[in-house]
Amino acid sequence: MSATKVIQLLEHPDEFKAAVQLKFFRKQADVHPSSDSEKECLKMLKITSRSFAAVIMELDAELRKPIMIFYLVLRALDTIEDDMTVPNAVKLPTLESFHNNLKKTKWTFNGTDPKERDSITLTRFDKILDVYHELKPEYQDIIKDTTAKMGAGMAKYARDEDFKLNGVRTVKDYDLYCHYVAGLVGEGLTKLITAAKFGSPTLLDRMNLSESMGLFLQKTNIIRDYKEDLDDGRTFWPKEVWGKYAKNLSDFEKPEFIQKGVYCISELVLNALGEAKDSLTYLSLIYDHSTFNFTAIPQVMAIATLAEIFENPLVLKQNVKIRRGTTAKLILESRTYSGVLDIFSHYLRIIHHKCPVADPNYLEISLKCGEIEQYLEELNPDSSHLPKGAKPMQTQSYLDAQKKLETDVPLQKVIEKETSACNAAVTFVGITFVSLLYFAYYFYVQSV
Amino acid sequence: METVMLVGGSGFLGLHLIQSYWDVEPRPKIHVFDIRPLPEKISKYFTFDPKQIVCHIGDLSSSEDVTKAIKECNPKIIVHSASPIHGMDKSLYEKVNVEGTRNLIACAKASHVKYLVYTSSAGVIFNGQDVHNADESWPIPEVPMDAYNETKAIAENMVLEASNADDDFYTVALRPAGIFGPGDRQLVPGLRQVLENGQTKFQVGNNDNLFDWTYAGNVADSHVLATEKLLDEKTRSSVAGEKFFVTNDQPTYFWNLARTVWKADGHVDNFNIVLTRPVAIAIGYLSEFFCGLIGKEPGLTPFRVKIVCAYRYHNISKAKRVLGYKPRVGLEQGIRYTLDWMDEVKADKKK
Repeated sequence: MSATKVIQLLEHPDEFKAAVQLKFFRKQADVHPSSDSEKECLKMLKITSRSFAAVIMELDAELRKPIMIFYLVLRALDTIEDDMTVPNAVKLPTLESFHNNLKKTKWTFNGTDPKERDSITLTRFDKILDVYHELKPEYQDIIKDTTAKMGAGMAKYARDEDFKLNGVRTVKDYDLYCHYVAGLVGEGLTKLITAAKFGSPTLLDRMNLSESMGLFLQKTNIIRDYKEDLDDGRTFWPKEVWGKYAKNLSDFEKPEFIQKGVYCISELVLNALGEAKDSLTYLSLIYDHSTFNFTAIPQVMAIATLAEIFENPLVLKQNVKIRRGTTAKLILESRTYSGVLDIFSHYLRIIHHKCPVADPNYLEISLKCGEIEQYLEELNPDSSHLPKGAKPMQTQSYLDAQKKLETDVPLQKVIEKETSACNAAVTFVGITFVSLLYFAYYFYVQSV
Repeated sequence: METVMLVGGSGFLGLHLIQSYWDVEPRPKIHVFDIRPLPEKISKYFTFDPKQIVCHIGDLSSSEDVTKAIKECNPKIIVHSASPIHGMDKSLYEKVNVEGTRNLIACAKASHVKYLVYTSSAGVIFNGQDVHNADESWPIPEVPMDAYNETKAIAENMVLEASNADDDFYTVALRPAGIFGPGDRQLVPGLRQVLENGQTKFQVGNNDNLFDWTYAGNVADSHVLATEKLLDEKTRSSVAGEKFFVTNDQPTYFWNLARTVWKADGHVDNFNIVLTRPVAIAIGYLSEFFCGLIGKEPGLTPFRVKIVCAYRYHNISKAKRVLGYKPRVGLEQGIRYTLDWMDEVKADKKK
């Protein structure tokens, strides 16, 4: 950990404590791969996404391998799609037929740029296949079906010259693009989760919920990655939105367009917040704790990121990220559903208070925050908010949320015990440190 | 052709009720009973023809006046929205809200009118304590906030208790929150006054409290829906004797709404001076005391501080589900209509 990061942590003591708790006090899962191929897949997972690897490793054994393989297969697909050195004559048929490779026992692809870090998922795809075929048939089918849809979607965009030249046009196109790159991932994960019986089967009838899970993350990343995407010659912000503020998307890099750029970000954040209620509903229907963590952590990261990029002109200059300490705090606090609701409430307030009256969407943003806050209250009413004789309205959302909150009670106790232990340790170390300083000073004074 | 009798039809909400019933197809005959006639000058916002509205002048607490009016128009249904505005004397609330409503119920039954829709208030459940996402299960507080809310609650209870299939008498109570719109003389005009006084920079409270405002046209629409449900025997039992919260279904932070009004008037502040709730209440008491000494109306009072710092938002699922209510006019458009109306009134005064 670099010096600047240490300093950053010390500037935020609560985040420092969270980082300590996360690293030393939380029980870690012990994972032992059962085969060489699985070991190889784990290695690939860590190479392609260290943070995601950590989360996948936390999953219950039932879903760990299926989701790891699902992730790696999609990463392989994405690597082909992303690689500009692969000509369309090769790229398109490879994407569209990629799902058929899952029926094979030996297949690799050496057509992507070897300097691309993720190309290992293609050059070593045979290892992925080994583990894939060890999975239960229903998991294999889900991964294959989703891969087929994703491949078709990616090929559709790769073939779309207008898209490549002009990017996303309308908000509807924006939603559709996010559906292909993220909504389908949410759909696939949902099918895996319900097949494992770790979530309510009603999730399969409400694909709008998993869709919102995917879109919330993707839209957040698209807004945040403005500069990075622009430098790569790609545009994902919908012209229907940014066209109100500038003639060209790159105009926002100019000083005179900064304010317009910030208003544009506000409107995009407002659009992304439209996914929040369904995301929260989705999480209330996930019963297994490790799976809940897996799905909740990205969502709370997203709402924290939206609050960070909202009204932030730095987004137009660089990749804005939340602090490491904030990440640690979010991971710890989002282990229960009530923790997730509190996090959303916290960051909604930040967005609400940040919003300047002059923003063209001032009232709309205010109304959206109010709407989500009202939903948070519906899901888990503060008991002090209800007068004597009143009962919460027994809506389906409320009942689902309460059921979820009930399953969290034993976990709440584990968390409290862990937090107490960490607090005691940090306090002890703190007191010791202060005592040593005092004695050092005392002896120094005596020696004068 | 059926007849609807709008008690209080000359008032702020009353004019919107006339408009909403005017828009019903087939259009009912519209009669108004009020203490005063329709305004001589009616805003261009309204499209109904005043000449086709029959007006009965009388005292709501007079049995003779009400009975005479009912006999003359023979209404299928009575809609009762008559009420003094906030800030009046307790005795006036007692006379109109309690005695007037009791009298209306008695006269309606005696005259064999079978249906009554009453405009209650979301304030009936408010006693200064926060209201978080309240629904119809929330009780009437034992200690009322003020005479207005107390008498509205008493009247509402009278109306709902009177609903009885055995008596062939059916009633509904609607509880709108924070009504504003053309004809409003309190909410939006009050905010415009703050703007004219140069006081928009002051924020009382931390502005985390959600508030429900309701555009008057939407409130009026909810009355039409309640009427239709009452008159249809298939849906009558689902609404008879019931109360419904009615809002714009857009709770928002109190000062954000105020700033939206000021922004629509062309004014945006770059910063705010925040007075926390306890500080503001203390200033309110001092203000009340010193203004009392010089016989002047204080701008800031503890009552007003509690109002603007309280959460007051509601869950209108019941109105959506049972009445089929959906707010037609959004907050932003509602604010625009209201400011346009205020400009129209101001322009008329200059002629």
